[in-house]
Amino acid sequence: MATMAESIVLPDASAGEHGDPREHLMLDPRPRGEMNAMVLESMHKTSKKFWGVVIFLVLTIAFALVGAWGYMIANGMGVTGLTRPEYWGIFIVNTVFWIGISHAGTFISALLRVMKYEVRRPFTRAAELMTTFGLVQAGISIFMHLGRVWLAYWLVPYPNVRTLWPNFHSPLMWDFMAINTYVIASTMYLFLPLLPDLAMARDRSTGWRKTFYRIISLGFRGTEAEWKHLKAAMNIFAFAIIPVMFSVHTIVSWDFAMATRPGWASSVFGPYFVIGALQSGIAAVLIVLFMIRSTMKNMKYFIRPEHFDFLGKLSLIVSMAWAYFFFNDYLVPWYGGDKFDKLLLDFHAHGPFAWVWVYMLIGNIVIPWAILWNKKWRRKPWLMLIVGIVINVAMWIERFVIIPVSLTITRMPFTWRLYHPSIEIPLTIGTFALFMLLYMLASRLIPMVPVWEVQEGQNAHTLRKVGKAEVTSVSEVD
Amino acid sequence: MAETVTLLALFADIDPTVKAIDKLHEMGIADNKMDIISGIPFSHEMLGRPKVSTLVPRLAMGGAMLGLIAALFFIFGIPGLFPLHVGGQPVFPIPPLYIIGFEMIMLGLMGTAFLGLFLAGRFPSYEPKVYVPEISDGKIAVVFPCSDEMQPQFTDALMSLGAEQVRPVEAKTL
Amino acid sequence: MSGTKSENPPPIWGMVINQDLCIGCQACVTACAMENNTSFIGDKDIRIGRSMQWIHTERFWDGQYPDITTGFQPVLCQQCGNAPCEPVCPVYASVHSESEQINLQVYNRCVGTRYCGNNCPYQVRVFNWRDWPRPIPLNNQLNPDVTVRRRGVMEKCMFCIQRIRRVEDAAHTEGRPVRDGEVEPACAQACPAYAIVFGRLDDPESKVSKLAKNGRAYRLLEELGTQPRITYLKGDSNHGNNG
Repeated sequence: MATMAESIVLPDASAGEHGDPREHLMLDPRPRGEMNAMVLESMHKTSKKFWGVVIFLVLTIAFALVGAWGYMIANGMGVTGLTRPEYWGIFIVNTVFWIGISHAGTFISALLRVMKYEVRRPFTRAAELMTTFGLVQAGISIFMHLGRVWLAYWLVPYPNVRTLWPNFHSPLMWDFMAINTYVIASTMYLFLPLLPDLAMARDRSTGWRKTFYRIISLGFRGTEAEWKHLKAAMNIFAFAIIPVMFSVHTIVSWDFAMATRPGWASSVFGPYFVIGALQSGIAAVLIVLFMIRSTMKNMKYFIRPEHFDFLGKLSLIVSMAWAYFFFNDYLVPWYGGDKFDKLLLDFHAHGPFAWVWVYMLIGNIVIPWAILWNKKWRRKPWLMLIVGIVINVAMWIERFVIIPVSLTITRMPFTWRLYHPSIEIPLTIGTFALFMLLYMLASRLIPMVPVWEVQEGQNAHTLRKVGKAEVTSVSEVD
Repeated sequence: MAETVTLLALFADIDPTVKAIDKLHEMGIADNKMDIISGIPFSHEMLGRPKVSTLVPRLAMGGAMLGLIAALFFIFGIPGLFPLHVGGQPVFPIPPLYIIGFEMIMLGLMGTAFLGLFLAGRFPSYEPKVYVPEISDGKIAVVFPCSDEMQPQFTDALMSLGAEQVRPVEAKTL
Repeated sequence: MSGTKSENPPPIWGMVINQDLCIGCQACVTACAMENNTSFIGDKDIRIGRSMQWIHTERFWDGQYPDITTGFQPVLCQQCGNAPCEPVCPVYASVHSESEQINLQVYNRCVGTRYCGNNCPYQVRVFNWRDWPRPIPLNNQLNPDVTVRRRGVMEKCMFCIQRIRRVEDAAHTEGRPVRDGEVEPACAQACPAYAIVFGRLDDPESKVSKLAKNGRAYRLLEELGTQPRITYLKGDSNHGNNG
């Protein structure tokens, strides 16, 4: 097992095709105390620029989210651009978008953990925070969509004197159950691996921070029993939250697939949306990791080009899967059968919104396939930031095409009408601002890197000589 | 009367820790009197210690059952009490049973696993405990009671095995 | 369950619209708006398509000027037997009425998710996008039998269920069955061409049942399996049923 102080270098071994082994975080260990200090420093050191951005975000939220939403609640949904036949518009697009983003956190934290991809170790928490805050925006967006949001609690199944219960035939109730399960589960799953890091922060803090960490670390010490219970719970979560993740976006897709609208009643929507969620989520993780690396101190040690490389490869695979499902969904109506499905495809590709449809294909297929195959380019964080943004915009547009653009074409041509959003735009900007604000504030309070997991991984990695080459060897300490 | 004092020995790595545990066994400290506190988890096989059982998986299964019961109530109980006809679908719809059942089972499973952790680990607890901050710096601590007279013997034995420090500790608030 | 009178089996109310007679005058639209307290929404909202008409007349043109033929198709809630709008409402605001066999919209219960509006293949459901004002003295023309709706709820035609109930009540008081043609929704009552006929489809002797067996009969989007209760009779120059 690696010692904790030195970097591992084997004598008379050639570097091989992987270059200097020290460029991998798992083969470049530092003393745990030093890593703790680095993470805490990145949490404590707050520049004036940071607070400037926070104030800007708060003002944006005050006007674009709180003010605009209050105005909409007081005056009715008429202040939006919604109309018949687009009863669902940008609010639902945002809901699906944010839920999609949140899936990457679970994918990285749970699926990669279960499959023992050690490369996930330094950024699981950053991804999980993205999940939690993304789901907050999804919740806000769906509340924004409701005509009588003050009665939203009627979707909760609770006994009442009027003997009224919600309708479980409805995909929206399946949504309600699934998304609530997912929010609760991912928040708990964020907290579990965070507990030892909160204990570490408690040990090294003073003043109000010490009181804060002392309370929320619950008295965790790291005894054998505590680790045993914690790991048992984490194991259950890691395995259980993966099917929940798949089910959540499938159920979201069923909101559309259960409908009778042309272009919506497609049986491929389940897997299509799940892959779409991974596509936008992984791209969002690229953006978040770039921001963390470039704005927080010491993060360049933890988040390295190898992580962008890995996520880039993943993004390429997911983009190919997305293209496969998109083509499935396109080919069947194109081939013929339902007149309105064909009309809809024509409307997508040649109607007034054709330019967004084309951008969607460029952003989701052309650009990832052109850039992500190249290992040197995948290791450039700034390029991966751009790819991440391009993909995310393209995925937002994909939902925009599926929802308001598809809703334009109904089976009663007399009712066709274009959708022109109005107050939805500031409200969308407001949700992005709130996401960024929550993330920035969390970065001041929550250690961004799970140091205990990084140390655990570094302990498990060694360099082995096979012939004349140095090979990374990982022990299964889990 | 011999007074017992609690000693804490700090180690930087697993191998000297394991040797120290064996030495303590030889010197008469039973397993259930020792406690190993560490900054990263080590399995009981690695430490050479008896297995720690945990209630969390069993509690989670119980929670899953509760979730299933909730789902059955939503799909069968409620429409049974207050039937409403919608869309030509049966009053007790079976495919939604699978969907709601799955979600409720998962919620029950994970919710009780989380609460089970609190229950099994007796969290949150803010009373004084034996702990040193070096543990979260990646050190491994072996905590055990010994009598006052034996303290120098234990200290020498553990220091010679590679302990960074051996000192008496008292429970204090974290 | 619902309804003041329970017959066993319950009546199936239905309608026949004769497109050969329809002249597109929109008297039905006006009468429905008056009977059901429809809001006056103003030109800005009309321009983006938010009209609150529970029945609207679709117009189809064929040919080139000056040889244009026009067909008119009044479209209203088809009161489907297998209504797609019903299972999708998360709060049971859109339910199937047992005693009238139509689709009900429960205004008090609606939270405004608008899934029902999306799922109606006929696009006949309308949404209260705002609280439109009803300046004095327009409030004097409100029908006391029908509630007014506030912003955030969906609404749609319910075959003038208030009229159905009133006639059933009166018939029950007088100890006689409801006569064929006694229940007339506002649209049927106002139509100058007698193009709209309303009655019980489960009574083979009723006028509406006999008309529904006509050779020109068709139903809108029948292939979707919605089982609409409205039968259209093809006109000479109409383009109904979307071709």
